[in-house]
Amino acid sequence: MGADPHCGAEISVEKETGKTILNFLKHMLNQKLIDGLLMPVMVPSGDSYAWILMKDSTLVDRANPLAPVMPVQGAKALKSLTRKGKSDMTVAAVMRPCEVKAAVELSKLSQVNLDQLILVSYDCPGAIPLEMYSQDPAGKESHFRSMIEGKQFEEDSVKPVCQFCTDFSVPASDLHFALAGEEGSKPVIVSCSEKGSSLMDKMGLKTSHDLTPWENRVEEIRKAKSKKREEIYKTVQHMVEGFDNLLDTFSDCIGCHNCQSACPICYCRQCYFDSKEARPEARFLLEQAEKRGGISFPQDKILFHVGRMSHMSLSCVSCGLCSDACPVSIPVARIFSYVGSQTQKAFEYDAGKTAGEALPMKEYKMDELQEIHEMIKSAESGEVPHE
Amino acid sequence: MKRKIGVYICECGPNIADNVHINKILEAVSSFGETDDIEIVVKSYKLLCSGEGKEYLKNEIEENKLTHLIVAACSPRDHNSTFINVCKQTSLNPYLYRMINIREHCAWIVHDKEQATERAIRYIRGGLRRVLFQTELYEKKLDINPDVLVVGGGIAGLEVALSLASPQRKVFLIEKKEILGGYAALYQSLLPRQQEARQEVQLKIKEVTNHPHIQVMTHTRLDQMIGFLGNFEVGVSSIGDSGTATDMKVGAIVVATGFSMTAISNFPQFRVRDGDEVYSALDIEGMLSEKGQIVRRSGDAPKSVGLIHCVGRDERGYCSRICCNAMIKIAGQIKAQDASIKVSAFIRDLCLPDKMDQDFFKEVKAQGVEFIRVQDIKSDGLRVQYTGMDMHSVNADFDMLVLAPAMEPAEGTAGLASDLGIPLHETGFYQEAHQTINPVATATDGVFVVGAAHGPKGITDSVLQAQAAAAKIMSMLIPGEKIIPEVKVSEVLEAFCMGCKTCLEVCHYGAIVFDEEKSISVVKEAICRGCGNCAGSCPSGAIQLKHFTNPQIYQEVIEALR
Repeated sequence: MGADPHCGAEISVEKETGKTILNFLKHMLNQKLIDGLLMPVMVPSGDSYAWILMKDSTLVDRANPLAPVMPVQGAKALKSLTRKGKSDMTVAAVMRPCEVKAAVELSKLSQVNLDQLILVSYDCPGAIPLEMYSQDPAGKESHFRSMIEGKQFEEDSVKPVCQFCTDFSVPASDLHFALAGEEGSKPVIVSCSEKGSSLMDKMGLKTSHDLTPWENRVEEIRKAKSKKREEIYKTVQHMVEGFDNLLDTFSDCIGCHNCQSACPICYCRQCYFDSKEARPEARFLLEQAEKRGGISFPQDKILFHVGRMSHMSLSCVSCGLCSDACPVSIPVARIFSYVGSQTQKAFEYDAGKTAGEALPMKEYKMDELQEIHEMIKSAESGEVPHE
Repeated sequence: MKRKIGVYICECGPNIADNVHINKILEAVSSFGETDDIEIVVKSYKLLCSGEGKEYLKNEIEENKLTHLIVAACSPRDHNSTFINVCKQTSLNPYLYRMINIREHCAWIVHDKEQATERAIRYIRGGLRRVLFQTELYEKKLDINPDVLVVGGGIAGLEVALSLASPQRKVFLIEKKEILGGYAALYQSLLPRQQEARQEVQLKIKEVTNHPHIQVMTHTRLDQMIGFLGNFEVGVSSIGDSGTATDMKVGAIVVATGFSMTAISNFPQFRVRDGDEVYSALDIEGMLSEKGQIVRRSGDAPKSVGLIHCVGRDERGYCSRICCNAMIKIAGQIKAQDASIKVSAFIRDLCLPDKMDQDFFKEVKAQGVEFIRVQDIKSDGLRVQYTGMDMHSVNADFDMLVLAPAMEPAEGTAGLASDLGIPLHETGFYQEAHQTINPVATATDGVFVVGAAHGPKGITDSVLQAQAAAAKIMSMLIPGEKIIPEVKVSEVLEAFCMGCKTCLEVCHYGAIVFDEEKSISVVKEAICRGCGNCAGSCPSGAIQLKHFTNPQIYQEVIEALR
């Protein structure tokens, strides 16, 4: 952490928070503290956003750092930029907390190199579901702006995974805009790392603003969202318990694999479930049909979803892009978020929290998974296993 | 291309034939592949591993022009290599053959004959499907360097060097101290025959130093090592100002870095102040070697000596094996010096494992040495406070105390282990490959550990291990002959590798390197042992283990479960 972690720095404030942030970033670019900026820019058709890497400060005004939707996970843009190695130029990227978390996870897999990147985050009220947004972009734009200006962090109009996101104010970035607080309170910038502190120093920013009221407000919101998480997970739990439930849950799935394409954690060049092995011969399928009386297509739907869960749930950051991408509206995000929370709990791992925490699959600890040891012991001694 | 698979079911005498219906298996197997362009030849035979059996199999392969071979018999642990060798005598690549275990995995464990037959059929059909996905693999032959690097010039290192050095095999011996001989060179007498040890060791040192095929480098340490069995590249440098570095190529490395003694000051229950007549067993050995007798600092002999065994055994968690004998020897020497000196030995247990030890103990006891078994013991200066087995607490004062502290790994063990890529045991000594099957080897092929570096032991056992390692090296690295590295190794499919480096974290043989330019992992085939950790851990499925590829395993399982 930078200077006094309980103090932020005041910055020159515009009427709109988005403009405040833009000006701050433009200033960084003009001062040559950074070489480039990565931010969402609205596409010409006006109903979506694209990630644009800009070096020209005149382009900055066209960006919207507080985009209401997240069509492409920011971590993917960072991956395109730094997969081959660290960036040659210092780039500041404005990301939602879940995009920062995904970037942190990808850095553990050598897919993102955080070295020359400045990750700038902000208290995120959530993102509007893509489908809702595309039906009425203008309306949703103004709605989102009023959420930001009205400091409303507990709205139901955002995606379900956003409704229960307790990491909306996560400090895994370098700089963070503290937006939550009393209505009318000014946004303050907080440093979350050495990089962040050094930048703030270079900009001559003094950390004199007491963050305690903001921290308290964030904690309040977190508690409320935590409750919401329990509620929402409860509704999802039965959907993944047992094969029959899984079949029901994914009955609409058309096997498009959009969820896998949109997921920032799914980085494989070729997904195993698209490989040759995942395509059985006709003869085998005919035999299955004969044995069971029938077979549905596309086949192995459950295998794909459960397989994807086993491959990436330990790194799931609950960003919800999978649901946005699903053409048949299966609540993939809530399901994977729930499963991810359980698998991560088993390893006492928090995906995306810190770059220093090793991925469970890459680290062996003698004393992990004690519950499994207990299960084996009781099975060997002939005891009845716990439910 | 038309494929012709030969399936040979071994009756294994009554072992398999009595427990499954051979004819039912023959029938079921021959129907395999009716829909594909695969021809099946399926026969049974009484005993395939016999001389005639092997000859029969060889003829069958050649006459039938088989493209693939299945042998359904006992465990591959028994005879996989037998049938591989049969294939090698024919034109059939041995990796287009698969052995199916229908004995240990079937006939011997399933007691219902019908069920056993069903299982055997499924296993064989699985193998048939699998073998079609197997590909030819070719063994390579690598030149090796028969020379050896010995790290450590103590008794074990000297013994290894002398056993191995020959006109066809050079030995490099490096020692971090300026003299050779280690601890053994310090001892006046060697148990149990009480010979003049120093002389013997000095003779060995002379032999080594004058040996035409041993190059000794004292005051030298190992800097780094890369490579694999038969082809190591090692860098050493001289300790001290000049720091001259030398590179050498060897085929094997023997670690003989010995031990060190735990300092008594590590044990707060034995309070020693400056000037106290409290010594370690090693101090006494030195005193006896130098002065020929036990004396206090004042110059006069003690009237009573207390010997405390097992100092540090509880804390370290292991017995140091040699101290009981050493302390009994010291007790005997004190009595020999002057029978009137009261000698009391405080023991927990007695470790007297060798065939002459019990007699020696009795002899010394007969000289009047008191052996007191204690539950716990501590000392403050020259006062010993102990609880006997009768639960009574006793104080005893002496003119001199001798403590036997635990042996511990030599300084620098952890660093050297890391440089050589070999693991440490939880006690801090080097970990052997296997306690009984491979006791002088380590996890890295070609790196051996001998002597006290492996664990507390005396001179005899150190020499034993040294000779064992030398024998191993002599059979593994024959001058002029090549070695055949493992063929069933992993390979990284460039197109799928995303450079996440997960495989690097799970490979314990150092067999994977990262190509920074291409951002992909690459397997060093000569070091790879084919354990499959990398293949299992790769999130992208970019690593395949040859002869255990995903399609092979998948198809076998699918077919067996049909």
